[in-house]
Amino acid sequence: MINIQPDIKFKKQLKEVSKSSLNECMQCGTCSVVCSLAPEEKPFPRKEMIWAGWGMKDKLIGNTDIWLCHQCGDCSTYCPRGVKPADVFSAVREISYQHYAKPKFLGKILNNPKWLPIAILIPIIIISTILYLAGTLQIPEGPVNYSKFFPHVWLNSSFTFLSFLTIALGIAGLRNFWKDLRLQYPDFKPSGSFIKHLFSIRKEIILHSNFSKCSNKKSRKIAHLLVFYGFILLLFVTAFAIYAAIVHKYPLAITNPFKILGNVAAMMLLIGLGIMIMNRIFDRKDFGNSTYADWLFLISMFLLTISGVVVQAARFLDWGIAYHLYFFHLICVWFIIIYLPYTKFGHLLYRVVAMVFAASAGRK
Amino acid sequence: MEKKIGVYICSGCEIGKSIDIEKLSQIASEQNVTICKNHSSLCSIEGFDLISSDIANENIDRVIIAACSPRLKTEVFDFPENVLLDRANIREQVAWSMEPNEEDTQMAAEDCLRMSIAKVANTEIPNPFIADNISSDILVVGGGITGITAAIDGAKAGYKVHIIEKEEKLGGWLNKLHKQIPYAAPYSELINPEIEDKIKELEKLDNIQIHTSTTIKEISGQPGHFEVQLLNGKEEKVIVGSIVTATGWQAYDANKLSYLGYGNPKVLTNVEFEEFVKNNPGKEFPKNILFIQCAGSRDKGHLPYCSAFCCATSLKQAKYIRDLSPESNVFVVYKDIRTLGLYEEFYKEIQKDDQIFFTKGEIEKVIPEKNNISVQVKDTLIGEDISLSVDMLVLATGMIPNGTEDLNLNYRLGKGLPELKYNFSDSHFICFPYETRRTGIYAAGSLREPMNIASSKSDASGAMLKAIQTIQATKRGEAVHPRSGDKSYPDLFLDRCTDCKRCTEECPFGSYDENEKGTPLPNPNRCRRCGICLGSCPERVINFADYSINSISAMIKSVEVPDEFEEKPRILVFVCENDAYPAMDMAAQKGLKYSPFVRVIPVRCLGSINKVWISDALSKGYDGILQIGCKPGDDYQCHFIHGSELTETRGENIQETLETMMLEPERIKTEFVEITDYDKIPKIINDYVEDIELIGPNPFKEL
Amino acid sequence: MNKTQKPVLIIGGGISGVTTAVEIAEVGKEVILIEKMPYFGGNVVKFNNYFPKLCPPTCGLEINFRRIKQNPRIKYYTSTEVQEISGEKGNFNVKIKTSPQYIKNNCTACGKCAEICPEERPDEFNYGFTNTRAAYIPHEIAFPFKYHIDNEYCKKESCNKCVDACKYNAIDLSAKEKITELEVSSIVTATGWESYDASKIENLNYSDSKNIITNVEFERFIASNGVNENKLLRLSDNTEPKKVAFVQCAGSRDENHLPYCSAVCCSASLKHALTIQELYPKTEVKVFYIDMRVSGRNEDFLTEVQENKNIELVKGKVGKIIEAENGNLILEAEDILSGKKIKYEAEIVVLATGIVSSKTNLNLNRDQNQFITDKQIEGIIPVACSRKPMDVSSSVKDATSAAVKAIQ
Repeated sequence: MINIQPDIKFKKQLKEVSKSSLNECMQCGTCSVVCSLAPEEKPFPRKEMIWAGWGMKDKLIGNTDIWLCHQCGDCSTYCPRGVKPADVFSAVREISYQHYAKPKFLGKILNNPKWLPIAILIPIIIISTILYLAGTLQIPEGPVNYSKFFPHVWLNSSFTFLSFLTIALGIAGLRNFWKDLRLQYPDFKPSGSFIKHLFSIRKEIILHSNFSKCSNKKSRKIAHLLVFYGFILLLFVTAFAIYAAIVHKYPLAITNPFKILGNVAAMMLLIGLGIMIMNRIFDRKDFGNSTYADWLFLISMFLLTISGVVVQAARFLDWGIAYHLYFFHLICVWFIIIYLPYTKFGHLLYRVVAMVFAASAGRK
Repeated sequence: MEKKIGVYICSGCEIGKSIDIEKLSQIASEQNVTICKNHSSLCSIEGFDLISSDIANENIDRVIIAACSPRLKTEVFDFPENVLLDRANIREQVAWSMEPNEEDTQMAAEDCLRMSIAKVANTEIPNPFIADNISSDILVVGGGITGITAAIDGAKAGYKVHIIEKEEKLGGWLNKLHKQIPYAAPYSELINPEIEDKIKELEKLDNIQIHTSTTIKEISGQPGHFEVQLLNGKEEKVIVGSIVTATGWQAYDANKLSYLGYGNPKVLTNVEFEEFVKNNPGKEFPKNILFIQCAGSRDKGHLPYCSAFCCATSLKQAKYIRDLSPESNVFVVYKDIRTLGLYEEFYKEIQKDDQIFFTKGEIEKVIPEKNNISVQVKDTLIGEDISLSVDMLVLATGMIPNGTEDLNLNYRLGKGLPELKYNFSDSHFICFPYETRRTGIYAAGSLREPMNIASSKSDASGAMLKAIQTIQATKRGEAVHPRSGDKSYPDLFLDRCTDCKRCTEECPFGSYDENEKGTPLPNPNRCRRCGICLGSCPERVINFADYSINSISAMIKSVEVPDEFEEKPRILVFVCENDAYPAMDMAAQKGLKYSPFVRVIPVRCLGSINKVWISDALSKGYDGILQIGCKPGDDYQCHFIHGSELTETRGENIQETLETMMLEPERIKTEFVEITDYDKIPKIINDYVEDIELIGPNPFKEL
Repeated sequence: MNKTQKPVLIIGGGISGVTTAVEIAEVGKEVILIEKMPYFGGNVVKFNNYFPKLCPPTCGLEINFRRIKQNPRIKYYTSTEVQEISGEKGNFNVKIKTSPQYIKNNCTACGKCAEICPEERPDEFNYGFTNTRAAYIPHEIAFPFKYHIDNEYCKKESCNKCVDACKYNAIDLSAKEKITELEVSSIVTATGWESYDASKIENLNYSDSKNIITNVEFERFIASNGVNENKLLRLSDNTEPKKVAFVQCAGSRDENHLPYCSAVCCSASLKHALTIQELYPKTEVKVFYIDMRVSGRNEDFLTEVQENKNIELVKGKVGKIIEAENGNLILEAEDILSGKKIKYEAEIVVLATGIVSSKTNLNLNRDQNQFITDKQIEGIIPVACSRKPMDVSSSVKDATSAAVKAIQ
């Protein structure tokens, strides 16, 4: 028996974020049937829709099923009342980033356009402060050499530190998320370790097989794979770059295999992101409502990639504005890496955790 | 006046190939027939002219057309009113349904013609009963929205209407409404109660007389002339031609719903809530309000039916709560949301509100607490049982029809209209929702079936049309549906009446009143011409000009029954002309064949079969009697309500007759068919013929 | 009272139009009834039975036809549509067009033309599931009871066999369409409804399986004078089904199709379920629904179904139907009360499709759902399913109420 006290504020937020009218759901269950990913027992998204309608925040936040959805949009296409469950799910995910955000204010400022200036100001101030501390807060003279502007030691140590900090904060959020997931499954008895279940879903992560089950648009899977592997490749190249910087072989020549790999990765990202952006702009019917969080993530990722390529070009071509571009690029890096748990990029963490949970709870 | 019978035999449509027309014509000459002619196509212009000229030149006043079914070519055989027409159905009932060119088929055709001749010889053209005191005024009983709508429609159609209301003010339930559900798109806004406007519209019409604080002391008379004694402090008499009764409904007694918390001041019924809001304008609502749908409805322990208005009403109430009180949450727990038809759009509009919450569910428990009420609900859509703490509970209770006893009809069969299941004064028929068993008195609105305002208004207009129609038909001396246009009426030879009261009891329409002795007092304008009284009368004193004991007896006796050595049994088949007769036609039209030993007599209703016809037939030597009619029972299809059923209750009596005649009980059989059962007709007939052949011939043949 | 001398025109000869016509005529006024099909009775004449009494529609129609036949105040035209309306209340001028009558009214329905006719046509009365000859009688209780020739399939003078066979000189293959001008006082539009086109509901695969039929088609499948006499056979292999599923709200209450509820489909499916039980007491029936909308006293009908062990009502809309190799159909729905996705294998699936107000070439105000609204020029009165979805009893009621408006 559950005592109901609708959380009207949450419901309104959900409506606002999802742009779904939400209320007109008549609980017919068409959505649960047309969804290729919904399990046989307690399928989604029909039950989530009445929880949403009744403002049952506790049921929605910290719900595994919200993250098992891959947003193919079939439910929205076939919904007889036009309530777009897919967008509601997406909105719940977005609200989850804020809900589990630690510190809270970061969740807030990254999910509301009115706080965007603050979100931008934070990296500007912190990076400037680091540069100030490093004593390089000025445009260096001579041929373009970014380490003159941001010495490698300072760059690598400060960003590594911040990345670890963000990971720590992210994990703290995820722990709460995990707790909530367990709350919704009172019968949950974990069988085996987190790592074991993570291993069990490797195929899904590597191949994106669930994406193929979604009937809508092949291009979604391709785009996601391109971005996914492009980004991993870039992470790898960046790791190598840090190593190279430590052993003083940096900067790399344009013909360096790693440099080439980095550029290939950038191309993958650009193509993937390009498809995603195009789909979101031109195919709203199939791709649903695009929220601020969607755009913030997509655009910052896009800018990160573009600026990376431009910064590299600026070095080789010795452009005057190279350092400004470089500074901009660092802000993009900040948005993607340091802000990861608070933006849509957080789905990387939450979805994986939810999938691991689902695997360990035997939910298929 | 001498009857001049003209017989016209058609040889078209293969009739001539199946039957020897010349031989058939001789039958006519053996009888008292003035003219007998054959034609290859009587329905052609030449055929029609042939008959018409005989009517004009030879003074033929009885025309027999031996051709196709009387259900066909009716518009062709349109003769002057003083000509009595009979159609001997030798196409469908002989030529098409029996083996061609066989002796037995020929005999069937001959008997068919003999019966027709016997019939017209014993039949008169009905002279309609037209009373000289017919009033064109109409009484509307009940001043709610249904009564008001009916009255307005009647007045607009040019009739004077008396509308009576027992309360001081017209308006009924609608006076208590705060808002109304929109009738048409857009469904997003509620509309203001329309009753004031309606009353104004009514008052403006000058041929309406409003009687408020008025009840009925007594209604007597018949369509065209009902004497209505009104009580309004004093007595007042009005004469009307017909009546629409719209006495409405009452709310289900919520005291029986204590398990839903009724009795607690925080628990109201939907009607109490509506009144409360109407009477407390501007009052804010508490924070959490729960509507329980089907409170005491769709529940075998209370009202087993659905009241059809409560779902939309609760939606309406939820809507104005939210309009008036933006902080309130409204919960609705339902079994099924029944917003049928375009009201679905209304449901959707109401759903749009962020603070109206819907779930299907069963109420498990209502627990009154100190400051609120806790309600536990199981089988919800949420996936688990829920409990809701609310400040107010609204029970969507259903409607109970008001009876019609207040009409105080001075009728032998009771003061009100007969009621169907759950006491609704409804028609039984889907196709004929205004079918009434008290001719000239039409029920409208929620006393007929559960309905909302829109439906009641439409119902009111329909009932008013029927009331107007009754007056007009009465003026023409014609019956109303289902034998509309029939000008015959029962003629009672009271000298021989034994006051047995069977006719007064068995008439489904309460046509007969009784005096103290029990002698029937006929009211021809209440009569629907089914003939059940004719069938009921042991003294055979009730007859219609064109449908009488004698005419059918003559038909029965006109058939030539071969003696038992010929092994040609004769089965008399009484066929109800409503469904069974068309079914026989269809069987023939489909090319189905049946035994040539049957002789068919159409009857107005199985209930109109008089016992004497049975004994006549048995004495004549028929070997069996088959009665085919419409289905009786709860879902009866008998057009005269219990005509078919009467064959069963009268059956015992008839079995006694058989016993006294030392005959087997199987010699009489009743079968019930639907009109679409044409494919079963041959089997029914042939099986019965076989049964009779097994039993052997009727011993009375020899006599 | 302003005495209306001119007749009332009723457009549409289904149960509603017929009712309005006879009710007005029996008041004593003149009416003209026109029908676009060659026979009266509209949709209901194709029905096997009515809910909740499971009685045949032809029973009431027979009485109404009798009322028409014997009433000289009713003039009627079949195969006729309105071309043009002008004027105003009391004085409408209406042009009607009657399609060519190749068989004249002196047809005796002897059937010789059909016997000899070499051409076949899909039988509209059975929704094309069976064929008749190009010279045909629409059905058993067709009124007017006469034969017709299907313009599209008849080879006309190049064949001419029926002309030679007709002894009554009733066939004229060169007949032309006829325009008639009428003057009427008011106009009742009883143009009725059509079934929603089920092929538009992609996820229910109507077009891809012979064994998925609509509720109106089912009427002809189960009718004793229907596609198969007294047997319910599925089309793919002519077997009698052991399992039948009903899909409620097929395209109804659905913004992608018909946003409204059609008010009759729930009761109709319950009726079908019970009719199946009468014919095949062992056949299993499942009805998938969102809300069981059987209003008023029809609740008893629902109770009767609930008490039948072979009929199961499942709350949950069917979202997908897939045809298996053996022609069986796998339906998927969420059983909402237990929260489980279920797959059900049925041998016949009946889609409970909804009511769409028939299209007409009349220039009338319609609402967003294409129903004719009450707001028309004075003197034009929409009735029954042309103005909103309703069942037969309500339609007849509405038709009778329209009659009183028409004589005001």
